[in-house]
Amino acid sequence: MSEICKVAAERRGDVAILSTDGYINNQGGEEIARQAYTQLESGARALVLNLEKTRIVNSIGISILIEVLEKVMDRKGKLAFCCLTPTIDKTFRIMGLAQYAAIYPTEADAVRAVSP
Amino acid sequence: MADAAPLSASRLAGLWRVLEEPLRSPDGPLPARLAQAAVSWSGARCGALYLRDKDAWVRAAVAGTFEPNSLDLPDPIPGEPTRREGALWVPLSAEGEIHGHLGLDGIGPEETADLAPFLAIVLGGLLGAHRLSRLVKEADFEVRTRLVELESLYDLGLSLSGQLDIAALGDEVLFRSISLTDAGKGTLILIHEDGRLLLERSLGGQLLSAEQFASWDVPEGEAVINNAAATVPTCGVRLASCEKCLVVPVTVSGRRLGVLAVADKESRNGSVLDFTPADARLLSLFANQAAAAIETARLHRAAIESERIEREMELAAAIQREILPHSIPEIAGVELAAANLPTRHVGGDYYDLFPLSRGRLGFLVADVSGKGVPAALLVSTVHAAVHLQIDEAKTVVELVTRIDRHLRRYAATRKFLTLFFGLFEPDTGLLTYVSAGHNPALLLRRHGPMARLNSTGVPVGMFPDATWRQETVTLAPGDLLCLYTDGLTEAVNVQEEEFGMERLSALVAGGRDMPLKLLCERVLAEVADFAADMPQYDDQTLLLLRRKEVES
Repeated sequence: MSEICKVAAERRGDVAILSTDGYINNQGGEEIARQAYTQLESGARALVLNLEKTRIVNSIGISILIEVLEKVMDRKGKLAFCCLTPTIDKTFRIMGLAQYAAIYPTEADAVRAVSP
Repeated sequence: MADAAPLSASRLAGLWRVLEEPLRSPDGPLPARLAQAAVSWSGARCGALYLRDKDAWVRAAVAGTFEPNSLDLPDPIPGEPTRREGALWVPLSAEGEIHGHLGLDGIGPEETADLAPFLAIVLGGLLGAHRLSRLVKEADFEVRTRLVELESLYDLGLSLSGQLDIAALGDEVLFRSISLTDAGKGTLILIHEDGRLLLERSLGGQLLSAEQFASWDVPEGEAVINNAAATVPTCGVRLASCEKCLVVPVTVSGRRLGVLAVADKESRNGSVLDFTPADARLLSLFANQAAAAIETARLHRAAIESERIEREMELAAAIQREILPHSIPEIAGVELAAANLPTRHVGGDYYDLFPLSRGRLGFLVADVSGKGVPAALLVSTVHAAVHLQIDEAKTVVELVTRIDRHLRRYAATRKFLTLFFGLFEPDTGLLTYVSAGHNPALLLRRHGPMARLNSTGVPVGMFPDATWRQETVTLAPGDLLCLYTDGLTEAVNVQEEEFGMERLSALVAGGRDMPLKLLCERVLAEVADFAADMPQYDDQTLLLLRRKEVES
């Protein structure tokens, strides 16, 4: 896991896949938000956040993810998470993220689910 | 101030129509949208919206072109609509609480009475609802965060109780500690009881090194917070690359096992927040759980090691049991008794009896160096060597030499043994023997003093090309020979006093007329009484041989 959270973006049609590597804290969350908004501005209708290489998320990171989620919902888009550790999976469910963004075991499942 | 105009439904509807679109739009924060709508609806040239941030009013949004500072909040802050330097100031209130102040520039004084009440009520209500919604969200977030903390403690307890991989355990504790305190970085150092480093893990940057920790006289107790500097107040250790820190020692029953440190609590705006007593409590709980889990893992490893040793001992004991004679042979003209008491820590005692041609008897007592399976395997090798060579060797010394060479060639471990081998001819009473570094044998004459048969050479397997001297002695009828291993004479009591040769000699002397089986039992019983509850770590072997009296 990287010390500084890195975010890689990949576009598949209307779906943007953001893959994180590292601690999703204030810096990591901001980087996710920056890339997510860039993707939305360029026409992405759905976001998939792949957290396979992330083992740790703090409350600041979660609040930023909620902001991203609200932004996507305002635009009538979709957001899905995939490849979460059991700890992060549980945290997202408790924090309410899973109410509005589905969680999938694999990236392929998530992309299939949010594709228009 | 102008009198307030009555609220007209159509005027209110007009304002609502202007607000409707910006309220629905997801672009931009709500204050900016409200400021823009107010400027648009009122026809003002520009405007600004001030919202409360803790104890201060701060400009949250501006709309239109405006001169810098031209719409600074007037002092004193108006509690009702007022005009100041050409600008209209409207306090936006709802439910008796002012939620914001709207400044509008570029509208005439005559319009104040028309505009102010609408703006105060509508925008005040919207801001109040917005603030309430934000407070509810924040409270909900806070409650859920506390729930995550509780769940984490529960999960960590479960996961650590079954986690025996110290590295995985360390990551689990460190990651949860950092994330739940919102720290930017953290370090966990764990050490062995003897001070060696067990684990060092960091995320976001290493706060302190194992060397620093080693020189740190960690006090027991709770976590310590330092929100003023990166120094741990209880010991003066300065942590690397951080502004504020929270540190807790990891201890079990006063033994220090390590330290858990986190630093630089994050905020949404990027500033470094103070750690709170709640953070300290949480970190202490994690440290306690980590300590308990590490102790469990250590005890588990110790139990596995103990079990392994136990199995090894059982195997060694089984080897030894198989090798020792299952019964005492009947040899004319000789009375024999022998016993072997293996200890829990199996040693390498071995005795054997060989009925030979022409009524002769071969016998040996040996004591292998070392304990456990290696010693038992060497005994096994000696046993095989003796049984292989006894018919080949023409003399006792040749037999001992052959055993030595066999061991040097085939034994898996470089160990040695003391050995007494005797060849006894009951007809003549002639005893031919070699004592390879063995304890002196006791020879109690039927009519006379006790003699000692001392060693006639070095232990077997010790030196290459070693040689031994072969001795002979004649036993008269009634003479008694006592062979033993040092497990008997070196048995210790609670005063750490050894049983010794003198006590053994006296016992044997007292058994001059006693059946050897009884004497054998008596010697072992006396040694056991002497040692009482002291655990013994060496096998005890005794072999007694008496030339029988000639029957008249």
